Amino acid sequence: MRTIRLYPRLLGAHFRSLLEYEADFLILAAATVLMQVVNIVFLSALFAKVPVINGWTFWSVVTMFGAVALAEGVGSLFFDGMWNLAWQINRGELDYYLVRPYPVVLQSSSAAIGINGLSNIVTGGLMIGAGLAHSAIDWTPWRVALGVLLLISSVVIKVSINLGTNAACFWLSSPSPMFAFAMHQVGDLARFPLSIYPIALKAVLGVVLPFAFISFFPIASLLETGTSRWVGLLTPVIAAYCAGLAAFIFRRGLRRYESAGN
Amino acid sequence: MPIVEARGLTKVFRRADKGSGLAGSVKHLFARRYQDKVAVDHVDLSIEAGEAVAYVGPNGAGKSTTVKLLSGILVPTSGEVRIDGLHPQRDRMTVAHRIGVLFGQRTQLWWDLPVSESLAVLRDIYGVDHATYRKRLARFDEVLELGEILPVMGRKLSLGQRMRADLAAALVHGPRVVYLDEPTIGLDLAVKDRVREFFRGLRDEGTTVMLTSHDLADIEGFCRRLVIIDEGRIIFDGDLEAVKDRFARERILHVETTRPVPLETLRSSLPGAEVTLEETPLRYAVRFDRFAMTAGQAVTVLATLTDLADFRVDEPSIEDVIRRVYSGDLVLDDTGVPR
Ligand SMILES: Nc1ncnc2c1ncn2[C@@H]1O[C@H](COP(=O)(O)OP(=O)(O)O)[C@@H](O)[C@H]1O
Ligand SMILES: [Mg+2]
Repeated sequence: MRTIRLYPRLLGAHFRSLLEYEADFLILAAATVLMQVVNIVFLSALFAKVPVINGWTFWSVVTMFGAVALAEGVGSLFFDGMWNLAWQINRGELDYYLVRPYPVVLQSSSAAIGINGLSNIVTGGLMIGAGLAHSAIDWTPWRVALGVLLLISSVVIKVSINLGTNAACFWLSSPSPMFAFAMHQVGDLARFPLSIYPIALKAVLGVVLPFAFISFFPIASLLETGTSRWVGLLTPVIAAYCAGLAAFIFRRGLRRYESAGN
Repeated sequence: MPIVEARGLTKVFRRADKGSGLAGSVKHLFARRYQDKVAVDHVDLSIEAGEAVAYVGPNGAGKSTTVKLLSGILVPTSGEVRIDGLHPQRDRMTVAHRIGVLFGQRTQLWWDLPVSESLAVLRDIYGVDHATYRKRLARFDEVLELGEILPVMGRKLSLGQRMRADLAAALVHGPRVVYLDEPTIGLDLAVKDRVREFFRGLRDEGTTVMLTSHDLADIEGFCRRLVIIDEGRIIFDGDLEAVKDRFARERILHVETTRPVPLETLRSSLPGAEVTLEETPLRYAVRFDRFAMTAGQAVTVLATLTDLADFRVDEPSIEDVIRRVYSGDLVLDDTGVPR
């Protein structure tokens, strides 16, 4: 489809200027890798004391962390422009988007490349790979397909939450993505097995803002770990729901768009 | 069928009425108060295909808001817009191919791309084939001289360069309707002239053009139809020449004589005209209504009284007329007839 073919074209247009700031790129990449290393060190220290948390071993939690990194990486490498939405709304930058024959949401999300996403994707992929390699499951073709489907769904959920929370700016009229960023911070809680949290927090992370479907539930299903293995099979459904809801919020928000006076 | 049609078009902006500073912001969180601003007020407008229309009015009159409503950027508070019979929000994609918009105050070029690359991205968004694209660029280049600015980064363009590039950007897809909102703002005279010439070319090709400006020099020699908006309401919509005929009847004949003539003599021989002395000796100004006498008649009468060294006739510019409309000196009703 034309819409999909055009997306890399729009995004790629920024690539050249990105390379102008090579130093920035390297620093960001290093920082991202370093953060994942810190995560792993922290996890090994934790699991040196308690080898299993609610049925989760070190390697299964590494897989979870990997899934989060992968989803965040795709979100920033390919859809970083969403985080500029507040600014775009406030400055009236949607004016020209609205008169071009291309979805406004895709023009917005392709407005920037988050190059640190690349290192997140790579480290996330490595963590998932290592985690799966240490698991005891046997890889039937069916399970491989399930794994791919779950990971794609997980990425869709993360990107949809980014979109939905950033689109809140149509109502909040703040020039910065504070709200979306706060929600993103909440999502960090879902890095750990959900079963360690009290019920209220479980409800938030599983239902209200389904961060738990980015890593906890789908990885539990894939690795057959923990107590609620079947829930993860709903991940594609949740993904479709999140994408639909985010698109709906964006569309409603767009009707409220008031441009900017000069 | 008109290509652009608006009925009862109204836009009310709701502005948060915040007090100043932090205290104001906090108070606003608890008791939200708003102030309504009617930017466009029941505007009816209908533009035929191929028509060129000037949309003028003072700053803050609602010109840009009207353009945003007519291009589907804003959803009207009430009333409706049709472009080629289409609804600008419901049929956004189709409408987008048919309209081109330029906001002189804001660029649509990518700041981190050279102009050539910005234009190429737009070409791909609109799905213009390469041959057509090259032909169009070549044509823009004739008047706008794009060649020198194509390799320049968006952020490094001067205002004049930016406006020329933005004009090309607004037209890469060959739109049938073009809205130009303050397209000459801030430009120096040489660039202004070039840009104005470009507009005339656009009009001559049969593109429907709505040109918004508060610089009246933009519209003289560009279009026959004039729409004046003030405080969100259309106060005149009609023929530019008719406005001039109706409200710019006054002519001023400046004469220079070879020897002094008593003012009284001149006045009695030109009843109905107002004769005054000008600052320099031997120069007189004769004000008259062009429908009461012609400049030729006035000159003939004066020539019987004395030898004329020189004369010149001034007619008021449309600028003067519109200024009088703004100042409330002239009141027009919807049909453009003075009340
Ligand atoms: N996005 C907006 N939010 C609030 N008020 C606005 C906005 N845009 C325009 N206005 C107000 O509406 C009025 C008309 O503005 P505008 O259409 O830009 O006038 P013009 O283009 O004729 O100078 C002005 O009072 C302006 O302050
Ligand atoms: Mg304006």
